[in-house]
Amino acid sequence: MSTAPVRRSGLQRDILDLYRKCFRAARLKPEANRPHFHAFIRMQFRKHSEVKQRDFATIEYLLRMGKRQLEVYSAPSIEDVTI
Amino acid sequence: MFRAIRPTSTLYRASALYKNAAVSSPARVSMAMNFARMYSAGAGLARSDVEKRVLDILAGFNKVDAKKISLKANFNADLGLDSLDTVEVVMAIEEEFSIEIPDKDADEIKSAEQAVEYISKRDDAH
Repeated sequence: MSTAPVRRSGLQRDILDLYRKCFRAARLKPEANRPHFHAFIRMQFRKHSEVKQRDFATIEYLLRMGKRQLEVYSAPSIEDVTI
Repeated sequence: MFRAIRPTSTLYRASALYKNAAVSSPARVSMAMNFARMYSAGAGLARSDVEKRVLDILAGFNKVDAKKISLKANFNADLGLDSLDTVEVVMAIEEEFSIEIPDKDADEIKSAEQAVEYISKRDDAH
């Protein structure tokens, strides 16, 4: 690709990777409920959008929380979410 | 003797139900048509077809202004999508073409044109 690759910090990449993993996990949910999961994922990420870029401790904490939450919601027994 | 006749009437009813079900499910019909189209496309995908499907995906996003959509438009600078939205667009493209795009390649897709370019290189896309 001709354009220069975007420079991202390790943490930023981790966040985007987690976001991607969440959407991958949502694909395993019943098709009718997938939009609920998508909205839920978006909300979970966006609600922390005011966290400062340099606030590494908070970001790392939220990342850990997100990963745990992904594990919990990945369980096949969870078929739907409500916001 | 009479008992032997009964099952036929149930059978008839069952087949009538089945016919109704077939008529009222257009999803099944359109799926068959999809397959037909894929076979007619032969080995590779037509570029114009790929372009149209990618642009349709973009049009499906609420955040994107339909008037700004073009092949050259940068997701971030022109369409106003942030990094999270871009991840979603690439995921939607993955789903549409039934491929898995590795994270490294996914980060490089920043416009519809680059997406089309990438898909044309993948022969497992369909």
